[in-house]
Amino acid sequence: MKDILTPRERFGLLVIDEKPDRCNVLPLVTSHAATVKGMRLRDYYTDGEKMARAQIAALETYGHDAVSIFSEVGIIAEAMGTEFEYPENDLPIQRKPVLEKCAIDDVECPDPINDGRLPVYMEAIEYAYDALGDRVPILAYVPAPFTTGMMLSNPNKFLIQTIREPEAVGRILDKSLRAAIDLCYHIIDKGGLPLIVDPLASSSVVSPATFRRYALPYERRLVQFLHRYDLDVILHICGDTAPILELLPETRADLISIDQVSLAKTQEVLSGKMRLIGNYDTSKLAFSAAEEIAREVREMVRLGMTTKKGYIAATGCEVPVHAPIPNVMAFVNAAKESGWYWV
Amino acid sequence: MFEDIAPAKIGLEEWSRQFACVSDDLIRRYTYYGNNEWGIYLSPPATFMVYGARELKKLKYDNSLAALRLWGFTFNESERLFRARQNGMRVIATMGDLGTVPVIVMAFPSCIPFYPDCTWWTPFFNESTVLLDKASELGVPEASCFVRSSLAAFYKRAYFPKPEALFASTGASCDDYSALMQMVQDLGHDLTWLEIPYRRQRHEEDDPEEFCGTEQGYQYAARFDNYLANEYRRVWDKMRALTGNGDTAELKRSIRKANRLRRLVAKIKKTAGQASVAPFPALEMMVVEFGNLYGYGDIDEWTDIVEMVHNTVSERAAKGTGVLGPDAVPIAWITPTADPLLLNVAENLGARIVETEYVINQAHVEIDENIDPFLALARSFMNASLIGSTSERVRRIRDSVNQGRIKGVIISNMLGCSHCAMETRLIEEKLKDLPVLSIDVPAPMGITEQLRTRISAFMETLR
Repeated sequence: MKDILTPRERFGLLVIDEKPDRCNVLPLVTSHAATVKGMRLRDYYTDGEKMARAQIAALETYGHDAVSIFSEVGIIAEAMGTEFEYPENDLPIQRKPVLEKCAIDDVECPDPINDGRLPVYMEAIEYAYDALGDRVPILAYVPAPFTTGMMLSNPNKFLIQTIREPEAVGRILDKSLRAAIDLCYHIIDKGGLPLIVDPLASSSVVSPATFRRYALPYERRLVQFLHRYDLDVILHICGDTAPILELLPETRADLISIDQVSLAKTQEVLSGKMRLIGNYDTSKLAFSAAEEIAREVREMVRLGMTTKKGYIAATGCEVPVHAPIPNVMAFVNAAKESGWYWV
Repeated sequence: MFEDIAPAKIGLEEWSRQFACVSDDLIRRYTYYGNNEWGIYLSPPATFMVYGARELKKLKYDNSLAALRLWGFTFNESERLFRARQNGMRVIATMGDLGTVPVIVMAFPSCIPFYPDCTWWTPFFNESTVLLDKASELGVPEASCFVRSSLAAFYKRAYFPKPEALFASTGASCDDYSALMQMVQDLGHDLTWLEIPYRRQRHEEDDPEEFCGTEQGYQYAARFDNYLANEYRRVWDKMRALTGNGDTAELKRSIRKANRLRRLVAKIKKTAGQASVAPFPALEMMVVEFGNLYGYGDIDEWTDIVEMVHNTVSERAAKGTGVLGPDAVPIAWITPTADPLLLNVAENLGARIVETEYVINQAHVEIDENIDPFLALARSFMNASLIGSTSERVRRIRDSVNQGRIKGVIISNMLGCSHCAMETRLIEEKLKDLPVLSIDVPAPMGITEQLRTRISAFMETLR
């Protein structure tokens, strides 16, 4: 069937509790866009215009429902002083956390216009918005304070600090929150919709108790900031979230993007409380046959569409950089075909 | 926090900085439909830019709390209509008459009027051809008024919910719009048509007994009073059948509310027009004027906002402060521009708009509260801008010229709108002893340097 609405119109209906023509389809095409464009990864994440052009090329190739401005979760930490290495055809690799060089009180909150690669993000958002903003939502991924906090530190040390030095962790998270808010503030003025990502807060990394004590309160404060703008907030936590499902509504996010957790179980817990986004296994996008992907996506979408508060057909995590293009197409096409609300 | 701010026009980013100082309590204080859970609307322009209104980054806005409320409320309308339906209210489309049928609709409990025609602003605010392209696909000629975007909006069902009833005026009304509404009917909507009479002045050979006039001095055949009152009774009956209610005491109450709003807006226009410097920008003033049509679907909240605008304008006028320089040249603006940016452009180039003729004169006159309400509505409508001759339409502008209140006139002509295209030339002719600039409002994203230069040169001639 032919789309009736633009992605912008479709998303607009979803967030006011209306059924659009079909469900939104949002494979998390981030750095994979460089593959679609035939671009080196380093060019993608160091040049805002190139990042945007790659995103636009991916959108034209797949016909999905949003632009995803993102490369990796260290973007705020980098702008605060954490050192990275930039391989030509791989994502940045953390080399020296800033908190191994100085104390958190000596770390400055970054200026999104000047520091690190935040200007790359700003340029990408602006370019994509000017090109497509009237018809496609421009999602700009923002690492949540807990994830940024861990990228400011040696991750092992940070996790030990959560047990032994909660006050020190609190100071790191406070500063990370300020940095995230500043970044959101600039993203919004460029026309981007901040999407909070907190992969390092998943139960694959930390216990539910640590999530509840450290990650959740800062996610909630970031959500509260965005709610002041009356924006609809997406929170993405990849990895395993099964042990923290019941805590997720406490973040007050409007949409929750899930990964390694049963969609049916998530619906049981969250169906009437949050809109769900998810959660096709991204490893299958890399390694399965297109026909198998299409069949599984159709099943997923049929189930997802029964979510009371609304549903976006998505991958559980980022589409792998080198996932075969026909596989991603199979995902998008199957989700679109089976996701019709309007008959 | 806003009390001490000097009046200014500010951009979107500056508004965001200012919004950072707005307390959560203040955000929660203002709600539509009185709902504290989802009825919040106090958002800065950036919020609506995130949702696709791309022109907002180019506009300059008044920096008052009143303006923040005004923009938040008006940009929130689409969401408001969907929330209305979700909460058991009835959403009623009132089209073409611009200001009268909503007064009837608002007399019914939980009925929310709106104007699908107002979607004509959407392609401009969004800098988008999505709706216009869809209208073309649906068979509307490209050489039609921008109101054709409303047909696409009906088709897409993403800008407003499917109305439970549609009232559409025809007759002495905009021809392009009437044709479009026929196409809306083809989409499967059940329209109730109202025939709008033409307001003809009395000729010498006419029997004076058969003619009457409005308080504003417009003459018309007296039989139209009862004719139009009966048309409005048909609307009333349709609404009664739809809702199972219908109390004329409520209609009188609705008229009183409409009058209260209209009086407020009249005071704002008068105060702003007479102030030593412009206390409020032209763009926000246009939004205020158009609120008279239907209170943007929540007349109580809108009236409260307009009260705040009135206080802001009055305070600034009393202090002699404002948003434009004292040397801004007073002009009149005729026909509302579909592209809001044009009003910004004109002000940036030195204009101060003190008089307007936005084809909604009928929404500015008070409705008689002491006679049969349907007759009162009919008589108020007979002051309408578009149902009479061009001479009548520009009479108020003519008066302002004669009083020396304005130095020039800008007419924004809607490209593709046959009615406007014809009348623009006539208006130029009627005002030929005054500098007049007529401009074609270009398609979205079409404001060129050439157009700016024309306005700039015109302003130079007025100085």
